[in-house]
Amino acid sequence: MSKHDDKKQATGKEYWRSLDQLAQTERYKEFLHREFPEGASQNNNAWSRRNFLGIMGASLALAGLTGCRRPEEKIVPYVKPPEEVIPGIPQQYATAMPFGLDAFGLVVESHVGRPTKIEGNPHHPSTLGGSNVFMQAELLTMYDPDRSKLVLNSGRESSWDNFVAWWRERAELHQADSGRGLAVLSGPFASPTLYRLKKEFLRANPDAQWVSWEPISEEPMIEGMRLLTGEPLMPIYSLDKTEVIAAFDCDFVYTEPGSIVNSRRFMDGRRIKEQHDPMNRLYVAEAAFTPTGAVADHRLALQAGRIPALLMGLAEALANLGEDIDIFGNQRPPQLTAHERAWCLELAKDMLIRNGRAVVMVGRKQPAHAHAIAMAINATLGQIGQSVSLKRIKEASLPDTEALASLINDMKGGRVKTLLTIGLNPAYSVPGSLDFAGGLERVEHTVHMGLYADETAARSTWHLPQAHFLESWGDVRAADGTLTFMQPLIAPLYGGHSDVELYSLMATGRDLAGYDIVRETWQGRFQRGLFESKWQQVLHDGMVRDSATEDENTGLRFSRLVQHLARHPIQAPEAAIDELVLTPSMATFDGRYANNGWLQECPDPVTKLAWDNAACLAPPMAQRLGVKNEDMVSVTMHGKTVDMPVWIVPGQADHTVVTALGYGRTAAGKVGNGVGVDTYPLRSHHDAYVRQGVKISRSSGTYLLANTQDHGSMEGRPLVREMQVQDYRKHPETIQHMEEHPPLKSLWKEHDYKSGYQWGMSIDLNACIGCNACTLACQAENNIPLVGKKQTRKGREMHWIRVDRYFTGEVGQPEMVHQPVPCQHCENAPCEQVCPVAATVHDSEGLNLMVYNRCIGTRYCSNNCPYKVRRFNFFNYTSDYAETIKMAQNPDVTVRSRGVMEKCTYCLQRINEARQIAKKDGNRQIRDGEIQTACQQACPTNAIVFGNINDPDSEVSRTRARNRTYYMLAYLNVQPRTSYMAKLRNPMESMLQVEKKYGKQGGKA
Amino acid sequence: MAQIFPRWTTRLPLLAAVVVVAVIVGGVGFFWYYGSPEYRNVGYRPSQPVAYSHKLHAGDLGIDCRYCHTSVEYSASAIVPPTQTCMNCHELILTESEKLLPVRESWATGMPIEWVRVNKVADYAFFNHSAHINKGIGCKSCHGNVAQMEKVMQVEPLSMGWCLECHRNPDPHLRPLDKITDMKWQPGPDHAEFVERVKNEWKVDPPVDCSGCHR
Repeated sequence: MSKHDDKKQATGKEYWRSLDQLAQTERYKEFLHREFPEGASQNNNAWSRRNFLGIMGASLALAGLTGCRRPEEKIVPYVKPPEEVIPGIPQQYATAMPFGLDAFGLVVESHVGRPTKIEGNPHHPSTLGGSNVFMQAELLTMYDPDRSKLVLNSGRESSWDNFVAWWRERAELHQADSGRGLAVLSGPFASPTLYRLKKEFLRANPDAQWVSWEPISEEPMIEGMRLLTGEPLMPIYSLDKTEVIAAFDCDFVYTEPGSIVNSRRFMDGRRIKEQHDPMNRLYVAEAAFTPTGAVADHRLALQAGRIPALLMGLAEALANLGEDIDIFGNQRPPQLTAHERAWCLELAKDMLIRNGRAVVMVGRKQPAHAHAIAMAINATLGQIGQSVSLKRIKEASLPDTEALASLINDMKGGRVKTLLTIGLNPAYSVPGSLDFAGGLERVEHTVHMGLYADETAARSTWHLPQAHFLESWGDVRAADGTLTFMQPLIAPLYGGHSDVELYSLMATGRDLAGYDIVRETWQGRFQRGLFESKWQQVLHDGMVRDSATEDENTGLRFSRLVQHLARHPIQAPEAAIDELVLTPSMATFDGRYANNGWLQECPDPVTKLAWDNAACLAPPMAQRLGVKNEDMVSVTMHGKTVDMPVWIVPGQADHTVVTALGYGRTAAGKVGNGVGVDTYPLRSHHDAYVRQGVKISRSSGTYLLANTQDHGSMEGRPLVREMQVQDYRKHPETIQHMEEHPPLKSLWKEHDYKSGYQWGMSIDLNACIGCNACTLACQAENNIPLVGKKQTRKGREMHWIRVDRYFTGEVGQPEMVHQPVPCQHCENAPCEQVCPVAATVHDSEGLNLMVYNRCIGTRYCSNNCPYKVRRFNFFNYTSDYAETIKMAQNPDVTVRSRGVMEKCTYCLQRINEARQIAKKDGNRQIRDGEIQTACQQACPTNAIVFGNINDPDSEVSRTRARNRTYYMLAYLNVQPRTSYMAKLRNPMESMLQVEKKYGKQGGKA
Repeated sequence: MAQIFPRWTTRLPLLAAVVVVAVIVGGVGFFWYYGSPEYRNVGYRPSQPVAYSHKLHAGDLGIDCRYCHTSVEYSASAIVPPTQTCMNCHELILTESEKLLPVRESWATGMPIEWVRVNKVADYAFFNHSAHINKGIGCKSCHGNVAQMEKVMQVEPLSMGWCLECHRNPDPHLRPLDKITDMKWQPGPDHAEFVERVKNEWKVDPPVDCSGCHR
């Protein structure tokens, strides 16, 4: 057995990518054996390759006769050119993406009136220039050809004017009765204009109901703050101001609100530049294995239902250590296991060693009282106003599940005559415990406004197509209260109207343009006489600068919490009872993105599943049930049963079924219909995310899941290098020595890359959270096609930058690491040496180029690529694009056809653009930081640095010079231009002892 | 035994070989010549929806190219002018002309005029006008003497080989920046000296890597 076959590494850690690999199953061996999986070289249609070639030959001969004539191409100029639009020079506009009670400030690139790329606004407090997958993918949603295009009345084509006439008549009737029988169901929002219109509407219709609700919202945390302070407040974290972070079922780097800034600030506290730089410490207690758990220094897997008890355990430990934390009243702290008590004690000690520079975070899957307990702990540690601030939520309509339940009750009782549902799809997404569809049947007049003619639209009298936020005027407040503006990048593609326009019609009966409505709000708010200049300024900036809400300093009254806990004592559920954990999907969120192929095809960072959700189980639980991956199981909760496939996730808490919401849509569109399984029926409006007492059993059959897990496996070589920060400080050179190889000598005369620009990239694995924002940003920037579930299963996904996920340690209690892998741009590129037609060659600046028009599709290059980053167009994925999808393509990048290899170009189009700007600007040098690759720009944690490695002062040169830098597979002497920085963990010695004694699984065995 | 085949048939294999070689050589030669951009595209002169004469406007009247092709100096695209540019003058001049009917129609209805593209590089090649204009490559080098064309015609093959010829040796095409649009300008006797000077000053260093044009 050669050294490289041995999975043991210098660190002694064993890296594995999947259970299959560890077990060396037949399927996995076959996967490794064949470069491309079974069937990859055969077109699986009824046509065989032979008769396909025969027919192609014949048609080619015929085509040859006419193919010589040049097709006539038209140039269509403007009639009156709009100001400032110059074909060939893209423009940038600031706008915003509302998301729950938050808003992401955006800068959107537009080519001759077509938005083509979304980036975070570097000055906006909700993005800081970073982004997440949803922000990147919204572009595709806007161009989605399946979006609703027609106003429908009882399923028949109608018009907006007809609706306006109908509404005015209807509104008059209701207003005569002061709005009785009129109800509005909208998503929660924080927006000056929408809030003004809502107030006006309720003034005109005082007895009308207005309910705001969303399937996945900030409600638990707001209610938690209400429990503690009597006010609905929003907690905003500044994780750079703390040294210890304890996340309780809180995936704050990925699925939780504020994930972009929270992950940035969190990583700011662990960017080790010099050996002795300080590093914060993250403790995570959670049921599902999340990306936050992956970056944790200590992770405790336990049932989500035990989290409130564990929080009480932490409070008790702090109290025992002398902290004045009085939230217990007469209640005895709940029964924790010895392991959990020891865990809490060590955590509490660590918090106090740091003089209370520690913060506790709780995720939205937890009930309100868990949030209240956590904030009480934060207050005791003196963190309110430091690492966490509480903000009043201004001009908002807050999510309220109780109000929804009572509305549905009224609907069933026939007390609602007219219902307007705006921007929601409740017929699909209301929990199974409430019968929304049944209530809807009893309402006489129903109006639905949405981007899609969805499940709710099908059951409503009226359906109004909604304009996308990139097509609308609006204003919105970010989570911290920052006033943020939306301006349209394009006129509504499908003739929709914005929610602002509908609200205005509802409130005033006037059918106005969104622009006028939003300006009306601000007429009174900007200083008189300065309105126009101020308006121009906020549209330019995308926000009113420094307009965050001031911190709320109301004293926290623990007595309210004590009273609550006396009435509802916290119990630690018996571990023997299985629990169901419903999570937001990072592909569809709550189902709204179901028709977005970019998101659907983006593999989950933990399971690496695309195009489906699954019942995720811990290995021991799967063993007890006798199921393996892709077996079907029945999941039953309170009489509702759902059949779904199993996926086994090492590291998940035992006795827990984790599954994502937002799948199994029936009226999402061509992409999203029938993808995955709808789990909303299992949901209740109480305890919406975590429920005890789920029944799970093997049902018949299996279901094929598309998993990218084993794709491109690198067979256990030290690809990800990882150390404990304590060891790293003592022996930083260990990172370099994890791979031993003889002196590297090339057989070829090597090129000289010493002059001019030499491009290189550095990826800091210590900062990577595996969030896939880079993957989607790259997809949007580089016109990367979708391949669909079937092709993904065959390993033919096209992502130019993938995020590999490895497990380390024992199967029962693994750690997880992520590694983004784009083309490494090897100076001695193995792909170039085998291309028979020189379709992949180097340029003088060290880029490994792919020349599409030369490529004949032998795929030798991909065979010879040690990093497996080359992607092949097995089919002409781009040929049947709808006209609107064609508009979404980046005009600076070639759209590839069938039979062509492609891969990361280091965003060559951006390099060339910067070069031409620099040349025109007095032939100066390109400045450091002037070129940002798409992945680098999107990365929320700034893990990726790109630049000229020939300039010793560039950021990338300085980064590469640090002692954490290593090169993947350096012993092959391919001399990659992409370097990595080793990952560090910062465990606490005494907690390691606890883990050694008890393991990493909480709860009762 | 009588011979079945007459004597001349012994030459058949040779003949066949000659024919096969001739067909192959001829075939390759045929496509080499007739399939080349030089043969197929040079001379392409489509009819336009408006009988616009570059000879009249740019030649006889002496209007600078950049009056219409406004963004040529700072954008990848030189742009075909919007209807408004035509109407700047033709609201006052030749207001009744029949030839200008489509222009007035476009102006009245707001529907654009659909011009036929003459000069075209392949979709996978990314040409930037401004990069050339600012380095002293005149319009004429690629477009020919447009000022003498009634109907615009493609005069150069715009093939990769043709591009590379100049990228490898741009010297003969360099000209002073204020003569970029001048169709009459000819290199003077001191051209070599001029080239020596400006190549340094303007940093004329055209890329010959694939990445220069293909992305």
